[in-house]
Amino acid sequence: MNPAWTILSAFAGVLLVLLLPSRFAGLARVIALAASIVGVVAAAAGCLQRLTHPEAKVWDLNLPWVPELGIHFHLSANGISLTLLLLTGLVAVAGVLFSWNVSHRPRAFFAWFLTIIGGVYGVFLSRDVFLLFVCYEVVILPKYMLIAIWGSTNKEYGAMKLTMYSIGGSALILIGLVVAYAAAGATSFDLDFLASVTYSSSLQAWAFPVLFLGFAVLAGMWPFHTWAPTGHVAAPTAASMLLAGVVMKLGAYGALCVAMPLFPQGFEQWKWAIALLAVVGIVYGALTALAQKDLKFVIGYSSVSHMGFVLLGLAVANQWGLRGAILQMISHGIIAGLLFGIAGRVVYERTHTRDLTELQAFDLWKSLPGAAIAFTLATAASMGLPGFSGFVAEISVVIGLWRAFPWLTLAVAIGIIITGAFSLRAMHRAFFPVRKPSDTPAQILPSLTWSEISAISLLLVVSLAIGIYPKPWVVLIDDGLRSSLFHSILSLP
Amino acid sequence: MNYSALFIQLLPEAVLVITALVLLGVAVAFESKKLQQFPAAAAIALATLGILIAGGVLFLLPCAKDSGTPLIVSDPLARLFKGVVLGLGLLAVWLPPGRREIPQIGEFYALLLFSLTGLLLTIGTNHLLFLFVALELASLSLYLLAGFPSTAKASEASLKYFLFGGVSAAFMLFGLSFLYGFSHTAKLTDIAVALAAGPPTALAITGLLLVLVGLAFKMAAAPFHYWAPDVYQGAPATTVALVSAASKAVGLVVIVRLLMIGFHSVAGSAGLGAMLPGWSMWLAVLAAVSMIFGNVLALAQSSVRRLLAYSAVANTGYLLVALAANGQSAAGSALFYVVVYGLATLGAVAVTAAVERDRSDDSLSSFAGLVHRSPLQAVALLVFLSSLAGIPPLAGFFGKFAMFSNAMAATGSGGQPGLAWLVGLGAIMSAISLYYYLSVLKQAFVRQGPDEKTSPCLSLCHALAVIVPASLIVLLGLFPSLLLGPITQALKLSLGL
Repeated sequence: MNPAWTILSAFAGVLLVLLLPSRFAGLARVIALAASIVGVVAAAAGCLQRLTHPEAKVWDLNLPWVPELGIHFHLSANGISLTLLLLTGLVAVAGVLFSWNVSHRPRAFFAWFLTIIGGVYGVFLSRDVFLLFVCYEVVILPKYMLIAIWGSTNKEYGAMKLTMYSIGGSALILIGLVVAYAAAGATSFDLDFLASVTYSSSLQAWAFPVLFLGFAVLAGMWPFHTWAPTGHVAAPTAASMLLAGVVMKLGAYGALCVAMPLFPQGFEQWKWAIALLAVVGIVYGALTALAQKDLKFVIGYSSVSHMGFVLLGLAVANQWGLRGAILQMISHGIIAGLLFGIAGRVVYERTHTRDLTELQAFDLWKSLPGAAIAFTLATAASMGLPGFSGFVAEISVVIGLWRAFPWLTLAVAIGIIITGAFSLRAMHRAFFPVRKPSDTPAQILPSLTWSEISAISLLLVVSLAIGIYPKPWVVLIDDGLRSSLFHSILSLP
Repeated sequence: MNYSALFIQLLPEAVLVITALVLLGVAVAFESKKLQQFPAAAAIALATLGILIAGGVLFLLPCAKDSGTPLIVSDPLARLFKGVVLGLGLLAVWLPPGRREIPQIGEFYALLLFSLTGLLLTIGTNHLLFLFVALELASLSLYLLAGFPSTAKASEASLKYFLFGGVSAAFMLFGLSFLYGFSHTAKLTDIAVALAAGPPTALAITGLLLVLVGLAFKMAAAPFHYWAPDVYQGAPATTVALVSAASKAVGLVVIVRLLMIGFHSVAGSAGLGAMLPGWSMWLAVLAAVSMIFGNVLALAQSSVRRLLAYSAVANTGYLLVALAANGQSAAGSALFYVVVYGLATLGAVAVTAAVERDRSDDSLSSFAGLVHRSPLQAVALLVFLSSLAGIPPLAGFFGKFAMFSNAMAATGSGGQPGLAWLVGLGAIMSAISLYYYLSVLKQAFVRQGPDEKTSPCLSLCHALAVIVPASLIVLLGLFPSLLLGPITQALKLSLGL
């Protein structure tokens, strides 16, 4: 099964959902689930094939598209793309399962949902920067619609803010890409070709920050992160999972695979600034999460903090750093999906509140023990305890950091401690409140449904699997890092 | 000069004029017998027939290399854009003419055909005097078309359009006389020779500047755009569609011809660090002002028609960015974009007309709940406005991307792309534009309408005017080469560069 099935299945799903007659609108979720499963199977098959035949040629599809501008429909799947496809597929399946109860305009909901998934797959597979940019932009409108129509808490404001930040980032990306195209002779948009050209250093000095910043806005880099918490909180569960789980990764992926290989000298010049902003993001996100009253805001700011590790890994730019950055993308994608799923669907749909103080009245660990257990495990994963994926990822980044900017490790250590503090605080207040015997007993809440249980276990198992046996993931990522794109980055002093 | 050959070249225009005369005659005959009012459907059918025949004749005509006179040229560029203008004109004909019944329906469509004739003649000439006459034929008909039916709003639109247009025509004619004084010829190719002979004189530069000011009025480039919001708001939908789509495309073709055939040698450069005086710099300034004015003012609009007018100003700005780059592929992508822009804005006007029919208002809030009232209109509106905002995979995205990349490729100093400042401004302004397009889409998709009643079906023609542009935008977004290829080819053959 070749990796193009990921994109095909998502867009075929969109078409099928839209063609459903309104009597069968309930079937939309089944189609969405089937499409997501096809995607995840295709991605997993691709990963397995790459693992078993590491010497085989990388899957590649290259068709001319717009010859007038030298644009090709060029897809290719190296190890990095494959692992990220698998992440997207997993989050998509979990997202559909967590939205099993969507009854308001279900066809439109799942159509927009699958459009995001298809766009994300497309970004991870593209080797032509025009195609990559198209897929990157395809995601914008569905994000707006999902949040503005199905969201909660100030949804129109959150949706518009997120959309304007995304499109603002895209404008910067557009400038960076067409500058590279023009300076390379205006003949081709092929990623490998553009990366093989050496641009003048005065051009790189301004084009790199423009292009990198464009991607970093979507990766939640401080101080351009403010769209993320408001957007995540306003979004419906599945959209928060997608936003935090995979859409923020698009920004990091673009920064790694487009901005850095295109302008390596510019990167060399600016990497101290990226490292600094990333560390500020780690500490600031954690501190802000410590002060939140809304459970989803805690998770939203924790995303900013965790994405700081990804950006830090990119700034470090040695083998450990890049590997750690990609592992953290995968790990955070799964854990953030899990946390948002539990907070937004399992808890909120039953209690209709996410306020940490109000949640105390529900005594959740007694009334909803399954959710309490799952959230505890997810919190452990999010804190980066050994045995979970977060540990593997963060330790790699920190090892890389120690080699490049040893002093910054101190600040990161502080950030990790605060992460522990806010995670425990939120978990404690929401699920294990201190109650006096005189308090009114909590009401009985409906227990978890099969779709919730399967989504939670899927994500937990994957996080544990990466934490316990990270080797296949590391092998795949190292395979991707051997690509000629990263030669110029990894050979920097 | 062979008159029969000339007549054959002008056959499409002749078909349009004959149809218009027939229309007038039939309408007069109908009314003089005091039977009843001439039915609008018959007028639309007759106009459709005329345009289709004209299109067919245009398609069948042999491509004449040289007609022997610069008055009429039928090079590939002219043929291609005559086809485009006929297509856009046909879609405009299918729109419902006014919010109220128009008593003089025969005259309305006859004038429409006259304006189309003028637009076609404008495209196919390399002669300045003929250009002016053809442009005024189109413009005078358009001024009248803006005034139907005689309500206060429409009269205001018509009068403002006429006054601004008249002043711009005066500017243009004044400029043309300067150019004639400089080169003693009105032929573009001869002017190019005269200009190449020596350094440009103040006479020629002033003349060109005045002509460009006149064309900037017609294209609604800021700061010459003040007529646009009132015309878009007051004029009937048909006229708005014609003004925004067909007339803008024609304006762009004229500018491309004028600058790239006649004044190629005084282009100068707007590149940062490599600035040279010339039209490239003027266009860059016009582009920057239009993009800023149009986008910022559109943010504050509550009437969708006025919003579309300011979006038209902003889009003229993007087009001028590509022209300022002074390159053949940049001009090609601008021509691509103007077609796509025309389709999108025409479709948006069509949907607005449908909403006005149901809600008798074009305010943002009258779009609330459109997706429940009519999913077709809502989805089409999504396609049109997303294309204008530059969201892929729609054609507007590709058009902007192609214009910006080709403009960026214009050289500056030291291997740096010279127009980066202008393209950067364009990209950021285009990002801002998403805000106001989304505020319309928010009403249509997110907000609840006053009731959930399904709106009555559109008439067949009106529905076609919504569906055809939407499908074309999706198709050209997925396969841009279908249009960009012919345009590139036509430009190469017609400009002889």
